[in-house]
Amino acid sequence: MNRAIHISPKDLLYSMQFKDGDFADIAIVCGQPQRAMLALEKIENPVKNFSAFGYTFWTGKYNGRPVTVGNGGFYAPDSAVATELLCVGGVNNIIRLGSCGSLKKEIVVGDYVIAEKALRGDGVTKYYVDESYIPTSDIDLNNKLCNLFENTYKGMVWTTDALLKETKEIVNDVINKGAIAVDMITSAFLTIANVYKKKATALLVVSDNLITGELGFSSIKFFDAEKKMIDKSFAIIDELL
Amino acid sequence: MKVLFLQPPMGGWVTWGKHIAINVNHAQLAANLREWYPNIDVHVLDCRALEIDENTMIKILKDIDPNLVYMGDALQTTGVAAIHPRYKRAADLIKSNLPNTKICVGGFFYGANAQNILEETESFDFIIAGETEATMPELAKELSKGDPNISVVKGLTYRDNGSVKMTDYRPLIKNLDELPLPAYDLFPMDKYVGFNYVKKYVETYHSRGCPNGCLFCVGWSNYDKRGKNDWTKYRIRSGKRVVDELEILVKKYGAKFVCIMDEDFNVYRPRVEEFIDEMNKRNLNVPFFFMGRAPYHLRDKDLLKPLREIGFVCGLIGLEAVDEETLKKLHKNVQVDQVAEVVNLFRENNIMSVTTWMVGYPDDDESKIKNRFERIDAIDPDMMALQIMTPLPGIPMYDELKPFIQEWNLEKWDFQHAVINTKHLSREDLGRLAAWANREFYSKPGRIQRILYDKNYHPLCKLIARCYVETADKHAQAAMKNEVFV
Repeated sequence: MNRAIHISPKDLLYSMQFKDGDFADIAIVCGQPQRAMLALEKIENPVKNFSAFGYTFWTGKYNGRPVTVGNGGFYAPDSAVATELLCVGGVNNIIRLGSCGSLKKEIVVGDYVIAEKALRGDGVTKYYVDESYIPTSDIDLNNKLCNLFENTYKGMVWTTDALLKETKEIVNDVINKGAIAVDMITSAFLTIANVYKKKATALLVVSDNLITGELGFSSIKFFDAEKKMIDKSFAIIDELL
Repeated sequence: MKVLFLQPPMGGWVTWGKHIAINVNHAQLAANLREWYPNIDVHVLDCRALEIDENTMIKILKDIDPNLVYMGDALQTTGVAAIHPRYKRAADLIKSNLPNTKICVGGFFYGANAQNILEETESFDFIIAGETEATMPELAKELSKGDPNISVVKGLTYRDNGSVKMTDYRPLIKNLDELPLPAYDLFPMDKYVGFNYVKKYVETYHSRGCPNGCLFCVGWSNYDKRGKNDWTKYRIRSGKRVVDELEILVKKYGAKFVCIMDEDFNVYRPRVEEFIDEMNKRNLNVPFFFMGRAPYHLRDKDLLKPLREIGFVCGLIGLEAVDEETLKKLHKNVQVDQVAEVVNLFRENNIMSVTTWMVGYPDDDESKIKNRFERIDAIDPDMMALQIMTPLPGIPMYDELKPFIQEWNLEKWDFQHAVINTKHLSREDLGRLAAWANREFYSKPGRIQRILYDKNYHPLCKLIARCYVETADKHAQAAMKNEVFV
């Protein structure tokens, strides 16, 4: 191959007829499409930016302020792609609304975790940063989110690509390193945002607990907390004037 | 003469979560008895609603010392044939403590099988064959005489010198409007709850029979086989009379949600029109549910909006199968596309849709069940109620299904447990596939959230949806762990 890169983020955006200014300064990004649809209901006059490769984004207004919402990937590799598109597309503040497993007994299904930093167990970020790099979230965004939610825990989130290899040895090791929750996205999301020097944070609703074994993926408690996360997190837009 | 209507300690139909409903059969019979034979002393004890255990039940019975105890049900939501082991246990206890008390059962399961069950159940003295509304009061009246002649009470099975005999066939009641309204005043109306969360919950029953007569339907088991397809002889309370009843329930008992349990509430358009008109005239607006057939809903599309306005927040539409050949064989008289269209119409009118379907047909294999599920999933009702074929004696399909029966413990004959196999599936596999279908349905991204958080649906729908989600796992428990619910 003689070209410097096969497809750049701009190539990809423009292949979808994207034009500068399509995205807002603020984006609220979910992983699952149905969560993104609930977020879509929060904004007025949404205009679809694009729907391609499984990602769909819309930009509209919340309380008169432009905001972009959409689904930004299920796992670290596709979240890296979606996050890079947002960064290159002009978004400066990215709030990710996701889910996680708790690594502390007291953090239960329906609670919230704000990722202050991430422990990189993913396979994608090594293409962006050195092995020693620790991705971090924006302190100001974190504090603003913390003010909006009760039952919120701040700390380090371990991102893994191997859901079915969350073994005792591996999990206890990351707990000893300070992780309070586990997901499959945050390290990639924060790393890309950090690389592009964008303000970003991840608010994660707890879906299960690795310590107690509680599984809440389909529980009403989880659904309700997920809905509340979407409803209340938009208030942060008013704080970002 | 003292008569006690007894609902013994028991569970409920798991499909509807925590489900403690008034026994509509008892309420109707108590009203008939009180009106027709006012000298008879009528008592009611609903142990399930009052959370009374067996010891307390017997203590209360000893205090009342009834001459006749009646147990029976007219609605499948109590538990279909799974009620029989509960009634039998209660009867055994009563007989050992109050040997002179006579015990009569009737309604679901018993109506079509009176003779066989009486032969097998020593603690029962009488079983009503067919409709209970007139037979039971007449029995009580006859027993109140010094020298009763049971043989003159039509529609009854009884013992005569040790041998089981049946009296003459009792013709059906023709005009339901001539019956008094159920004796709600005798029941602990504030104790009833439905769908886990819905307090002041009430079930009502304003018709008898069903004109379509699907061959699998447990409704057949209410009826004396000596009648000619009695189950299909559809009789109704008028729309006005239905509203009379709802008005009492709302104004006197504060009903917050009414489950109209007629098998087909929307058969006659004029009745539904009258119902809407009366509800509006009396300014009654209570959320309610009813079961209706898709073709009638399509015939009456224009009534959905006014129905929603007076409180029709959730409707159940039966489908059962998805291929025309099976539907025809079942005498279902609906088409798949009709159900799909009604689901869409319900959604347009902010009415939550529940679609029933079945597994456990003799030819069912894994592929057929999963394909059936895919069609249901594509129709995309808000909720689904999956029933596992249960071969009650008395239903037209019984003879076809009997060779497939694998589980004879009636505690599990509640439509939620697999009790039969098919030509291609073991009973266990059938149960596993039912659990699979329930999990698949409710796992679809966004499906649950659509009901839980859509502001257009009535808040009670959200509670019902929560109940369905919370109880979906019970199907897996029924299938995999043999848990008993009724």
